[in-house]
Amino acid sequence: MRISVDTGGTFTDLVLEENTGRLQVFKAPTTPEAPASGIFAALETAARHRGERVADLLGQCELFIHATTLAINAVLTGSTARTAYLATEGHPDTLLFREGGRIEIFNFTVEYPEPYVPRALTFQVPERIGADGAIVAPLDEAATVEIISKLGALGVEAVAVCLLWSTVNPVHELRVGELLARHLPDLPFTLSHRLNPTLREYRRASSACIDASLKPVMSRYVRSLEERLRAAGLDGHFVMVTSQGGVKDGETVAAAPIHAINSGPAMAPVAGRHFARADLGSGDAIVADTGGTSFDVSLVRQARIPWTRETWLGEPFRGHMTGFPSIDVKSIGAGGGSVAWVDPGGMLRVGPQSAGAAPGPACYGRGGRRATVTDAALVLGILDPDYFLGGRMRLERAPAECALEEHVCTPLGLDLPAGACAVLKVMTENMVQAIQGITIHQGVDPRSAVLVAGGGAAGLNAVAMARRLGCSDILIPQVGAVLSAAGALMAELGDDFAATHPTGSESFDFDGVNSVLETLEKRAAQMAEDLALPPSDTQITFSAEARYAHQVWEIEIELRAPRFETRADVDALVEDFHAEHEQVFAVRDPSSEVEVIHWHARVRSRIRQRDLPPVQDPVTPAGHAARRVVFPGHGPVEAAVVEFASLTGTPSVGPAVVESPFTSVAIEPGVEFQRAGSGGLQVRVGQMQSEAAGLAAKSW
Amino acid sequence: MDGVRLAVLSSRFQGICQRMANTLMRTGRSGVLNTAHDFSCCILSADDEFVAADESLPVHVLSGPDIMARCMKEYHPALRRGDAFLNNSPYHGCSHPADHTILVPVIDDAGRHRFTVLAKAHQADIGNSKPTTYMAAAEDVYEEGALIFPGTRVQEDYTDIADIIRMCELRFRVPAQWRGDYLAMLGAARIGERELLAFGDEVGWDTLDAFVPAWFDYSEQRMAAAIREMPGGRVEMTITHDPFPKLPAEGLPINVVVEVDPEQALIEIDLRDNPDNLKCGLNLTEATSQSGAMTGVFNSIDHTVPPNAGSFRRVRVHLREGCIVGIPKHPYSCSMGTSNFCDRISNAVAHAIADLGEGFGMAECGPLLPPATGVISGRDPRTGEDYVNEIFLAHTAAGASPDADGWLTLTSVGSAGLCLLDSVELDELRFPMRVYRQEIAVDTEGAGRRRGAPGAHVEFGPVDCEMMVAYASDGTMFPAKGARGGGDASRARQIRRGANGNEEELDACTEVRLGPGEVMISITQPGGGYGPPAEREPERVAHDVAEGWVSAARAREVYKVVVDERGRIDHEATAALRGAA
Repeated sequence: MRISVDTGGTFTDLVLEENTGRLQVFKAPTTPEAPASGIFAALETAARHRGERVADLLGQCELFIHATTLAINAVLTGSTARTAYLATEGHPDTLLFREGGRIEIFNFTVEYPEPYVPRALTFQVPERIGADGAIVAPLDEAATVEIISKLGALGVEAVAVCLLWSTVNPVHELRVGELLARHLPDLPFTLSHRLNPTLREYRRASSACIDASLKPVMSRYVRSLEERLRAAGLDGHFVMVTSQGGVKDGETVAAAPIHAINSGPAMAPVAGRHFARADLGSGDAIVADTGGTSFDVSLVRQARIPWTRETWLGEPFRGHMTGFPSIDVKSIGAGGGSVAWVDPGGMLRVGPQSAGAAPGPACYGRGGRRATVTDAALVLGILDPDYFLGGRMRLERAPAECALEEHVCTPLGLDLPAGACAVLKVMTENMVQAIQGITIHQGVDPRSAVLVAGGGAAGLNAVAMARRLGCSDILIPQVGAVLSAAGALMAELGDDFAATHPTGSESFDFDGVNSVLETLEKRAAQMAEDLALPPSDTQITFSAEARYAHQVWEIEIELRAPRFETRADVDALVEDFHAEHEQVFAVRDPSSEVEVIHWHARVRSRIRQRDLPPVQDPVTPAGHAARRVVFPGHGPVEAAVVEFASLTGTPSVGPAVVESPFTSVAIEPGVEFQRAGSGGLQVRVGQMQSEAAGLAAKSW
Repeated sequence: MDGVRLAVLSSRFQGICQRMANTLMRTGRSGVLNTAHDFSCCILSADDEFVAADESLPVHVLSGPDIMARCMKEYHPALRRGDAFLNNSPYHGCSHPADHTILVPVIDDAGRHRFTVLAKAHQADIGNSKPTTYMAAAEDVYEEGALIFPGTRVQEDYTDIADIIRMCELRFRVPAQWRGDYLAMLGAARIGERELLAFGDEVGWDTLDAFVPAWFDYSEQRMAAAIREMPGGRVEMTITHDPFPKLPAEGLPINVVVEVDPEQALIEIDLRDNPDNLKCGLNLTEATSQSGAMTGVFNSIDHTVPPNAGSFRRVRVHLREGCIVGIPKHPYSCSMGTSNFCDRISNAVAHAIADLGEGFGMAECGPLLPPATGVISGRDPRTGEDYVNEIFLAHTAAGASPDADGWLTLTSVGSAGLCLLDSVELDELRFPMRVYRQEIAVDTEGAGRRRGAPGAHVEFGPVDCEMMVAYASDGTMFPAKGARGGGDASRARQIRRGANGNEEELDACTEVRLGPGEVMISITQPGGGYGPPAEREPERVAHDVAEGWVSAARAREVYKVVVDERGRIDHEATAALRGAA
C-alpha cells in the first residue's frame, strides 16, 4: 500500500492506494499549530472508514509520501525564524544588491525589496579566500566568536553562513560552523557550500539564508512527524516531495528544508497533465488547484511539466532567489478560506488572507467572525450545510450570513445574495489574473487549453473562471479535490545527484570524470535500494552541464554511456553539445572548446504501471434531489443536485450542483456536463459564452 | 481585433523577444552580455516601425532600431532569407559604436519581407584607439578608432561573409571573445527569425498584418489617455554635465524644453537650443537624443502604456542636425552616446514633468560610468592572455518617484535597472582582480518624502599584476537633483589607494593604471529625493536608521525625525522638530 498525504493551509488530503488497485480519498482539517495532528486525523478517518486501527493501516504502508505547504507558508506569512547572516568582511550587502535586475522598466511605483535577512542582522566575518582557494586573509576567530556572542542577545533563532569562495575552499565556513556549534549548540545553522555549492555568491547566500530560516520549524516538524509515524506503526519508507517534483527521504529534507519550499503544489501539474491527456486528449492544460488558503496554478504545454531554472520567492527581481530549479507553479492567496473585506477606499477585496482551518470560515461555527468565500458559497446554496466533507462537518448558515452582512453587504449597501455573489466574482477575477499571467502574458491563448480544476474549493467558481477566460472545456478529476496528493502517486519517484568537476574537451580528465560518475551512480543506486524501487522499472541516467569556453551558463546534455572509455566517447559528447546548442540557440561554434562543469546522475522509477484506479467513495450520498441556488449573474434558480458517482456519459444541462463528499461544483444554467472517461466531471462551457474579450494588454 | 487576440498576439511578440534575449545572455562570452545583460532585442514591422521588445534598455530601443531597419533596406533593396546585417554607426541609427547590432529580415516563403528582428549588444571591445568602449576625450571618430558598420551584410544564405569577420578579428582586442559574442547576437536574431516564421505559419501572415496597426492604434489611445491625465504647461529646464576633458571648466549646461498639452494629448520636447557638436566623444546620436527624451516621458506616465510606434505618435522630440544633443555630423564622435548627456536629458524631462505637478515626474537619477562600472583591461598572469571588459559592480543611482524610494540597483536611468550586477566570484574567476568591498554608502542619498537610492561604496584592484581602469564618472561635480523639495544627491568620488595605504582623489573622467596591491575606490552617484524630507513618514525614517541606510544624526537634521539609541521614534521630539520646521 502507498499513502500520499498533502498538507495544505486548510485541509490535509490523504490518498491511499492498495496493491490491489483500490483507491481511497480522505480529508481532514489542517491544524496549523501542529500539522502532524491533521495528518493523524486524516489517518484516523481513513482507518475508521476501513474498519481498521491506524497501526494496521500504517503497518501495511510500504511508501509514505508527504507534501506540505508549511515551508512556503512560513515564508509568505513572515513567520520564519529570526535569522542572522554571516558574510565575508566587506560584503554585507550581497542579499541587498542581489544580482540587480528589474521588471516593468517604466514602473517606478514599486518599492525595492527588503533583503531576506535585514542588514541589522548581517555580520561581517574578517576572513578572505581567493578565487584559487588560497587564504588571502585568515579567519579572525576572536572576532567571529564576538559576533556569535551577540546573536543570542538579538534573539536570533538560526544562522546562515556564506563566505566568498567557500565552494573552492570551505575551511573558513567549516570553522565558523564549528564555532557556532560550540558556542550556540542549540542554534540551527546552514553553511552555504554544503547546501548549494554553486558559483555566484548571491544565489548561494540566498539559498543558505532561506534554508536556515526554515530550519527551526521544518527540521523539527519533519523529524517528529517521521518519529510519530514510526511509533504509530509505519514500517515502510517515509519520503517528502521536493520543489523539483522528486522525493527525498525525510532526514535529507530535515537537514535542508529549502528543498521542500514548493513541496505542496509541485505534484498538481503531474496529475493535471495525466487527466487532460486521458480524458480530452489534450496536451495543453491550465492546472488550477484551489484549496482553502492558496490558489496554485501552472501551465502544462505540449504535455510538458513547467520547469524553471531560477526559482523566485515572490516576483522575479522583486523577491528572493532560492538558488535551485523547481517545477513552475504560481501561487496566490485565494481559496475557500479567503477573507472578504471592504478596504478604506470602499473597494471589495478577497484574500490574500485566509481564515485557514482554525477558526476557519464563519460557517464552521468555530468562532470565526470574518466573511469568507466558503460563507458566500453556503449562502448562495452552492454548498449543502449537511453534506460538507460528506456530512462529517456541519456548516452553519447564521454566522455566515452575519459575517457577510457585517463585512461585505452593509459597507457596500448590497443585499445578502448580491454581496455573496460579489465575493465570488472578486475571487474569480483574482484567479483569472493569475492565470493570465502564465498564459496570455506568455503568449498562450487560454482558450486553447483545458482547465483542470482541482482542490476542494475548485467547484465554487470553476465554471465562472472558464467563462471569464474563454476556456471551453473544464475537467474536474475524480481525485480533483486531492490533486496534488494524487499527483504524488502518479509521479516518477526519484532524485537527482550532482557534482561539480570542471574539465575541457581538449584535455579531458577521463579518470576524474569516471570516478565522479561512479560516485554519483552509487548514490543513485543507493536511493533506489532505500526506496525499494523495483529494479525492472528503475533507470539511472547521466548528464553533463556544458558550455563553450568563456560562456558562463551551461546547457544539459544527456550522456550516451555511463563512463568515458575512449576519445571517441568525448567526441560524441562534444558533437551532442554542438547539436543541442544549435537546436536551442540557433548557432554552433565548432572552433571553440567545450567545457563540462557539472555532472548528474538521475534515478527515476515509474512505480505506477496502470492508470490510477477509480476512487471508492468513503461515505454515502446526502440524497437531496434539488435545491435553490443563486448563481452570480443569474439570480435564484432550482438546481438539480447530482452525485459525482452517479454521473453518466450522457450530457446534462445546468443549473445543477455536482457534489462529492469533497467538492461541490456549481454548474450555471445552460452549461453542459457529463462524466469523463476517467470518472471525473467534464463541463463544456462553450466559446460563445466567453466574457474574455476586452482585456487590457500587458505593456512590455 | 478583439482584446484577447490583441493581448495574446502582443505577448507572443514579447515572448519571441524574450527568447532572443535568453539566447544572447546564455551564449554570450563577455561579462557585459552573459552577466550584466547589457543588450536588447526587438522586432520591427515591414515598414520599419517599432512593434515590440523584451524588457529592453530604453536607451537601446525606444528610437534607433527603426532608423537602422530603414538603412538596411536603403542600402540593400533586395533582401533575401538568410541575410544578416551589422550596424553600429552613430550616423545610421545606432546608439553608439560599442552597441553592435545584428539585423535579420524575416522573409516569408513567398519571399516577402514581413518583419525585421534586431539584436543589439554592448561589446567588450570595438577596436578603439584605447582599450575602452567609452572614449570621452576622442577628438573625432578617427581618434576614437572604432570600425563603423553602417548596415553591412555579414551573412548571406545563413553563412558568414568571411571577409568581414576577418577584418573584425584583426581589429578587436581579444578576438575570440568578440567572435563568441557575435555568434550570440546572431543566434538571438536567428531564434527570433525562426520563431516569427513559425508564428506566421501558425496564425497566418494576414492576422499579423492586421495586428500591427491595431496594436499601434491601441497603444496610441493608451498614450493619449495617459497624457490627458497630466498637468499641462511648459517647463524650461537646464541641466549641467560635469567638466570632462574638452568640455568647459564650469561644465556644459543643456537646455531642455518640455511642453505637455493634455487637451491635444501631446508632449513636445525641444533639444535644439544647445551647442553644436563638440570635438569629444560625448555627442549624442539621433537614436539616443530621441530615446533619452522619451525615457523621461515614459518614466513619468502610467507605466502600462506600451512603448511602440503607436504610443510614440503622441511624443514629438525636436532635434537639430549638428547639435551635441541632436543628430551628429560625421566625423564627430559619439563614443559616449548612450550615457552622459543621454541620461542627463532623461533626468531633465522627468524633473520638468515633476515641476508641472505633484505626483508626476521623478527626481533625477545619478549619472553613469563610475569606476565601479568601468572598463578594465590588462594581461592575466594566470593564463598570459589579454582581457578587456566592462565590469558591473554595485552601482545604484536611482532617483525617487512620487510613489517609491529610488530602486537601489537602477544603475542608470537609461538602462532602467535591467543591467544586472556582476557576481564578485565570477569577476574574480574571470579576471585577475579582487573585490575588497561592496556596500551602500550611508547618508549619501538625496533625501525626500521618497528618498533617492544611496550611493555604493566599491573597492577593487588587480591581483599580482597591473590593471587599466577607464571610467567617466559624471556627477562628481553636478550630482542628481531632487524634485519638488527633495534633496540633491551627494557627489560621486573616485580614489586610488596606494599599496602603502595612501589615498589620492582622482579625476572624474580618465584612465588609471593600477599597480599590484593598489585599490580603486568608487563611491557611485546616488539619486535625488522627491518631496520635502520632513514629510517622510517617521516609520520609514526609523527603518532606514535601523537598517543602516541613514544615520540617526541625519535623520534628525534632514528628516526631522528623532530616533533613540534603541531605534524607537521619539514622537514628541519629532513633532516638535517638524513643527519648528
